[in-house]
Amino acid sequence: MPMQKQSLSKSLTLLFGIVVGLLVIWRVVTVGMAEGYPASFWISQGINGLVLGGVYALVALGYTLVYGILFMINFAHGEVMMLGGITGFFALQFAAAQGWMEGSTAVVVAALLFILVAGMLGSVVTGVALERLAYRPLRRAPRLVPLISAIGASLFLQYSVLLIFGVSPHSYRKPDLISGGIRTGDVFIPYTGLIIFVASILLMLGLYLIVQRTKLGRAMRAVAEDKDTASLMGVNVDAVIVATFVLGSALAGAAGVMLGFHNTVVKFNSGFIPGLKAFTAAVLGGIGNIPGAMFGALILGMIEALGPSALGIPTEYKDIIAFSVLVLILIFRPSGIFGEILSEKKA
Amino acid sequence: MAALLEAKGVTKVFGGLTAVDRVDLTIEKGSIASLIGPNGAGKTTFFNCLTGLYQPEKGSITFDGHSLVGQRSDQIIGLGIARTYQNIRLFKGMTVLENVLVGQHVRMKATPLGAVLRTPSQRAEERQAREFAQQLLEFVGLGGEEETLSTNLPYGDQRLLEIARAIGSRPQLLLLDEPAAGMNPRETERMIDLVHRLRDKKGITVFLIEHDMKVVMNISENITVLDYGKKIAEGKPVEVRSDPRVVEAYLGPGVLLDTSGGTEKK
Amino acid sequence: MKKGLNTGLTAFAVLTYLILIGLPTRLEGAAQPVLALLLALFFFAVLRSQGKEMGRGELLQSGLVAGLVAGLLVVAEIGFFVGLLADGVKIQPVFDKVVPLNMAALLNVRAGAIINGETSLLAYAILTAYLTGAGLLGGLLVLFTRSGTASTVRSTRIPGGRWLVILLPFLLFAFIYYLGLDGVKTFGNDKNIVRLLLVLVATGAGLFALAAAKEGVEKLAIGGLLAGVLLFLPFVLNQFQNSVMSIVFIFVMMGLGLNIVVGYAGLLDLGYVAFFAIGAYVYAFVAAPFSSPYISSLLTGMGISPDSPLLGYWSAIPLAMITAAIGGVLLGIPVLRLRGDYLAIVTLGFGEIIRLFMLNLGDLTNGPRGLLQIAQPTLFGVAPSALTSHLDAQGWIFLLAIFGSAVVAFVAIRLNDSRLGRAWVAMREDEDVAQATGIHLVQTKLLAFAIGATFAGLAGQLYAARQINIFPENFSLFVSIDALALIIVGGMGSIPGVVLGALALKGLPEVLRGVDEYRIVAFATLLIVMMIVRPEGILPSARRRRELHSAEAPPPDESDVSDKPTDGQLEGGRA
Repeated sequence: MPMQKQSLSKSLTLLFGIVVGLLVIWRVVTVGMAEGYPASFWISQGINGLVLGGVYALVALGYTLVYGILFMINFAHGEVMMLGGITGFFALQFAAAQGWMEGSTAVVVAALLFILVAGMLGSVVTGVALERLAYRPLRRAPRLVPLISAIGASLFLQYSVLLIFGVSPHSYRKPDLISGGIRTGDVFIPYTGLIIFVASILLMLGLYLIVQRTKLGRAMRAVAEDKDTASLMGVNVDAVIVATFVLGSALAGAAGVMLGFHNTVVKFNSGFIPGLKAFTAAVLGGIGNIPGAMFGALILGMIEALGPSALGIPTEYKDIIAFSVLVLILIFRPSGIFGEILSEKKA
Repeated sequence: MAALLEAKGVTKVFGGLTAVDRVDLTIEKGSIASLIGPNGAGKTTFFNCLTGLYQPEKGSITFDGHSLVGQRSDQIIGLGIARTYQNIRLFKGMTVLENVLVGQHVRMKATPLGAVLRTPSQRAEERQAREFAQQLLEFVGLGGEEETLSTNLPYGDQRLLEIARAIGSRPQLLLLDEPAAGMNPRETERMIDLVHRLRDKKGITVFLIEHDMKVVMNISENITVLDYGKKIAEGKPVEVRSDPRVVEAYLGPGVLLDTSGGTEKK
Repeated sequence: MKKGLNTGLTAFAVLTYLILIGLPTRLEGAAQPVLALLLALFFFAVLRSQGKEMGRGELLQSGLVAGLVAGLLVVAEIGFFVGLLADGVKIQPVFDKVVPLNMAALLNVRAGAIINGETSLLAYAILTAYLTGAGLLGGLLVLFTRSGTASTVRSTRIPGGRWLVILLPFLLFAFIYYLGLDGVKTFGNDKNIVRLLLVLVATGAGLFALAAAKEGVEKLAIGGLLAGVLLFLPFVLNQFQNSVMSIVFIFVMMGLGLNIVVGYAGLLDLGYVAFFAIGAYVYAFVAAPFSSPYISSLLTGMGISPDSPLLGYWSAIPLAMITAAIGGVLLGIPVLRLRGDYLAIVTLGFGEIIRLFMLNLGDLTNGPRGLLQIAQPTLFGVAPSALTSHLDAQGWIFLLAIFGSAVVAFVAIRLNDSRLGRAWVAMREDEDVAQATGIHLVQTKLLAFAIGATFAGLAGQLYAARQINIFPENFSLFVSIDALALIIVGGMGSIPGVVLGALALKGLPEVLRGVDEYRIVAFATLLIVMMIVRPEGILPSARRRRELHSAEAPPPDESDVSDKPTDGQLEGGRA
């Protein structure tokens, strides 16, 4: 009898999963038959999803890195990204004032790189300051305490930006070089989307190499495993944690700048929702798991882009879909699709 | 005597490691039994299988006519098995008294509504629970410490409090995980005395894991020896002590010779 | 010397921030003294923590250096900005708040002087003097508090001080009553706002009086008197003051409910607003059915006129509470197995989902246009304002909020001190052991969610009645964050703490309307500083304080094995 009780709750969960799965499939099929979108529509949406996923992935990696090492949710990470976008905006203003944006292709590319690096720097400064002022004093406190501090930091950054830089949104002006797109048939791929996707892949690859191949990466994994032992082994734990924030913030800064070019506006709260989504992506892939965060982000991006049309509901519901996916994943796989790992040993 | 607990072929695997390997074990009602073995022999894992913290892959466990496999730990304590922990796990933010009150949780019936309305039955139950907790604290030797914060107790007293919390659930069987670990000789004496009183005065069957051979040989009526998850010996202290497999498992006879010389009684 | 320099640099960063967010513009003529005072407090805090071993002279020197460094740097910065502004450079596209008015306030000159580049060196010198003075003042304050003169002022030290604390709220309430009498002109135009501030302070002082009272008869008597005075308040305050106090007490209800979930059971719920919204919308559906296109067509179809409320306020209470409780359980089931921080994010998502539904389910909720003209609560079918001219509509809501808070507090106290309350604490501390002690985790968690949600539903219903018209944006994430922040600031797990938190976080900003735009930054800073300096809150429960302070020491099961037995040896003789 007790045996059955245990399996009963499990089979109930499974049953619930099957029912939800069938409902979704049924809905997708009926909508698909009724609406009959052309294939090009799905391809365009899919591309949007990949672009969105690339941005989420860059931000999600920051969550995952910090979580893997400090076991805290850096709730203000979305704001770190937003500040990258703001810094990038001012770098763009500066570059435009110098006339770099109308120069030859090489000049424009160099200027774009300059803007990207400026944005990344802006985020790094924010991230490191955040760690130093709001998180480091709380490293030994119960887990709720740094989370609340992080919520405070998130609000502080948002509203400081609002007060210091004003209410009006900051508009990025794309240089001609990247304002077009590729059109094949009915499918249109904007250059910015392409750049975001490629750049995200490159940056993630770089991060993966750092974590897996370098001395710093080894130290990071050691700290993630056990801070006290790592420090006994001569690892400077503080330095490793700062380095983690630097890496995570730099990626977020890049995402902020690229999103600025893609969406053309940055304002005080434009980091909040992407931040939440990126966190969702990190959890989806298994928080602390670097490849997991990348795939989680791409999956989430696709779901968001394709979901509303596939289910035949208004696009306003895309956030609902994203959060519902999060809840469902956590019910069935509480440690994410790919499990929570940073180093292999933890698996 | 009748068997209170009967385990057959209990097996627990972690990854590739078989922590508990086809262990059979019987505990007689009203006895004091021990589980010994070198570090990592699977003793605590076996305890965890008995109390529902782990689910064994194979085997059956029957307690007082109920099967324990597949039960949650809160159901198992309801059936009458309580335990303590190797690395003391008290509720640190609670006072001594509150810890014992939580221990009685499973025997109390008050509903939230009853608590809000302070129904006569809820008040009576709460009063009885407090009185019983008081009695138990005096029984283990912690009378007068009711309002002390549990973390502020000295180490040995924390072990006593864990026992008081466990017997708050009025168990038939009490599992003690290294009750004398880290204690000085005097505290160990007190612990041995307490285990005897638990059985004699409260009628609780005791099953314990212990490293201190003096304690084990002194109080156990029956000993089971685990090594690498397998049961390698079982029997009365005298039998186990002379069992060559046990001697081998403990790497040399030194440990056992020590204990035979250490059976001094006060 | 070096420390002073560092402190000065930090102070400069803080001042720069204040200038960039445009605080001086707001302060106008008072900018210099107010900034100096703020800076002095900052220096006081820093010097007190780092200057423990410093001698008198060293301390003052440190303060002086810090003040001078901060002053010179700020003046240089202002000079730079002023120079740019005088040259006609537009700084505003970058720094929105760096405008002539801001600089003028800092230097205490006219804005025209900035634009025309007519600033004198004297103005800069005065500002430097102010800030250097702040450094000295900070050092002096440290000396003053260190010599013990300040600590003797504490109520506990002087005989009868305790009674002073106990009497203070009553004196304040008497003064508030006096201010409300016809013909009293004290405070002139500001009377309204001063009176509100006094009400907030007096209510807060009441909590401290209650804490100062001895257990037993004294506490009961003082509690009773305070309750009596509080119930009298709605009758003497005006519409505006009542409306502020009613929102404060609605948040007390929310805070007490969330306190059960977070403070007692340790489940971090960031989507608490969902249940608040459920309560509000359920009441709105029955009290203003005509507002919802779907419900009115449904009712018309059934031959019922949607023009009048389906249920009165009182009969809708169970409906709102039960619906919210169901919402709590529905949220609870999927998140049961989640760890603390996942829980936070999932609940946050849930809160957003509810809001998005309200926004997009236009047929049912009327979307962003909201539900309008929600019926007001009555007393046996009569509007109380018709019975007495002393009680306006907002006062009636305030009264109901006090009643609601009292009920919720009563339930919370009773539960905390019961089998369920102990189970919550046990579960919060160690889930595995709690379960092995016989606590049914699923049931215990769901009860926490459901009870917390019920109270939020109750608060939401009253909120809907207070607002008369409700819109989805009334139920943003910030409601959750406000509710969470107020229990954290007040002191988690502590009921007086919740009240204090609500007074400070929901009441004070209303008084400080002028600096409303700085509310959120101030609040966010407070949250961070609070976590670092005093994570247990202002009026913590005894248990929380113990937990947070034992958390600073390494956990005993690892380090204590080796040294505790010696303790045991000493204690062994006692048994």
